[in-house]
Amino acid sequence: MQSRILRPTLAIYTAAFLLFLYGPMIVLAILSFQSSDGGPQFPIRDWSIYWYQHLLGLTETSRVSQLPVGDSLLRSILLAFMTTVVSTILGVMSAEAFRTKFKGSGPAFYLIILGMMVPGVLVGLGMALLSNTLGIGRAWWGTSFVLHVVYTYPFAFLVMLAIFNRFDRSVEEASLSLGVSPAQTFRRVTFPIIFPGVLSAMLFSFTLSYDEFSRTLFTIGSQLTLPLAIYGTFSVEIYPNIFAFGVLTTLFSFTLLVIYGLLMKRFTAKAARFKGQEEN
Amino acid sequence: MLHDLELISVGKTYPDGTVAVSDFDLKVEKGEFVAFLGPSGCGKSTTLRMIAGFEDITNGEVMMMGHNMTHVPPEKRPTSMIFQNYALFPHMNVRENVAFGLDVKGMPKAERDRKVDRILDMFNLDPVANRKADKLSGGQRQRIALARGLVVEPEILLLDEPLGALDANLRRIIQNELKLLQRELGITFIFVTHAQSEALGLSDRVVVMSNGVVEQISPPQQLYRRPQTPFVADFIGSNTLIEGKPLGAGAPGFGRLDSPVGRIEGVGQGNETLAVIPAEAFRIVPQNTDGEITLSGTLIERKLVGAVGHLNVRLADAREISVEVSADRPEVRALALGASVTLGVDPNSVTLVHA
Repeated sequence: MQSRILRPTLAIYTAAFLLFLYGPMIVLAILSFQSSDGGPQFPIRDWSIYWYQHLLGLTETSRVSQLPVGDSLLRSILLAFMTTVVSTILGVMSAEAFRTKFKGSGPAFYLIILGMMVPGVLVGLGMALLSNTLGIGRAWWGTSFVLHVVYTYPFAFLVMLAIFNRFDRSVEEASLSLGVSPAQTFRRVTFPIIFPGVLSAMLFSFTLSYDEFSRTLFTIGSQLTLPLAIYGTFSVEIYPNIFAFGVLTTLFSFTLLVIYGLLMKRFTAKAARFKGQEEN
Repeated sequence: MLHDLELISVGKTYPDGTVAVSDFDLKVEKGEFVAFLGPSGCGKSTTLRMIAGFEDITNGEVMMMGHNMTHVPPEKRPTSMIFQNYALFPHMNVRENVAFGLDVKGMPKAERDRKVDRILDMFNLDPVANRKADKLSGGQRQRIALARGLVVEPEILLLDEPLGALDANLRRIIQNELKLLQRELGITFIFVTHAQSEALGLSDRVVVMSNGVVEQISPPQQLYRRPQTPFVADFIGSNTLIEGKPLGAGAPGFGRLDSPVGRIEGVGQGNETLAVIPAEAFRIVPQNTDGEITLSGTLIERKLVGAVGHLNVRLADAREISVEVSADRPEVRALALGASVTLGVDPNSVTLVHA
């Protein structure tokens, strides 16, 4: 009786909630197909892919200047990639260290976590002042890169900590007892088993770095990353080419997610096996 | 004489002061099968892990073939360990699991394949060699773990409750296999278990532990017949323990004890304060039988299970003891509940220990 009312109500609520979540993105996607003489609002005058062509520089000269995203997109991807590599390596290594209690492990844990807790604006400003004082030039590959690592490393660390928490140490001990060195044990036994976690840590680091704003704002110098470049265009008039660009980046993120999902699927089968072994 | 394994007053104390194991002394010959037996938390697994090198040794020394191994890391010890949960590598198939140790050592492929094939054959694993370990039964996974541990040719095989996760039937089968295997290979086995039947049935010698201390090291039969401490008397078999005042030596090799239920004679020095009587040593006898210890009491419970009669008898001082007698005997069947009975015991089967 109860479920006859409750279940449809909850279903409608969930649908409404999802619509609310994705509404802005849907509107943006629709408006990106506006015709060349249309503006960034409804009604749609005519359906076209003009703004996508405009974005890629395939249109003849127009009244709207091309979105200055080419270089900044490349820069953002490169920065996110560098951050991913460094944060994931640091995250895996420090989580491995935290598997055994060591002197000062408590304070060390909180110092690492602090990187994601402190407000970005403060760290960004602090870094800008520090680099000024020390006479270090601000650049996306320098000051911004350091802050991106400080920001994303705790996430990678926490993901790996959770993975190691559920890790059955006896598998490593079995390897050691077969005469395999600790380094080889890590490479051939530990790493393949924790790999799904490493993948998650990488995804976190990449996405967090890719659209980081406040820390980057203060430390970027003259060559902007993508979020800053787009923000810069807002100060002038907005055209649907930004929407077209938004759709493309969303597709890019989806591609990343799909790759992640496929890789995870390949490895979770093994994780399930691993769990089954513990239960029996 | 070089022993395969020698523990010299080995001990472990945790940083917070908790003592896990203390003063463990043991010498193991090549090819011996030694079981560590005790209730959970008695330190038997900790000791095994100290031998394997997974736990720091805080006191004493571990020697293997005359070499001091106390601070040698696990991968450099001539030991191989079998875990209760098998600890198979989930990302490898059966063959890769077994070949792993040799593979990492860089053994030439031909030789490696030969050894792996032979051991897979020995454990009847060749039909499943290319399957993932998770698809296999507990018994098969246990065999994979054994094959993986043995293929690297350790001097000493350490087994941490390897049968604990198997059901009773399978346990018996693998138990037999283990015994045969050990005889065939002549490798030293150290086996940790909390199950008496495994320890007594498999090993050449049993180390009984309690609270981090070795209680007794004896061959199984000796352990069963002549316990040396009250703990062992209580833990192994089903014994009746009767305390009393020592009365000095009796016949050579025998001691006497004055207990609340009468005088008891048994194997000992005469200064002990506790008599240990196995449940199956009792017989029902007429009153005042000569040359035997006699205890009188009242029958309060009787259960006949096949050929064995389990009787509960209340003695003169109100203590209840369990007795096992042959159910076929007429005097047993004639007993009624509440009847008075006289139990006779041959002093030879009584052991006196210090309480």
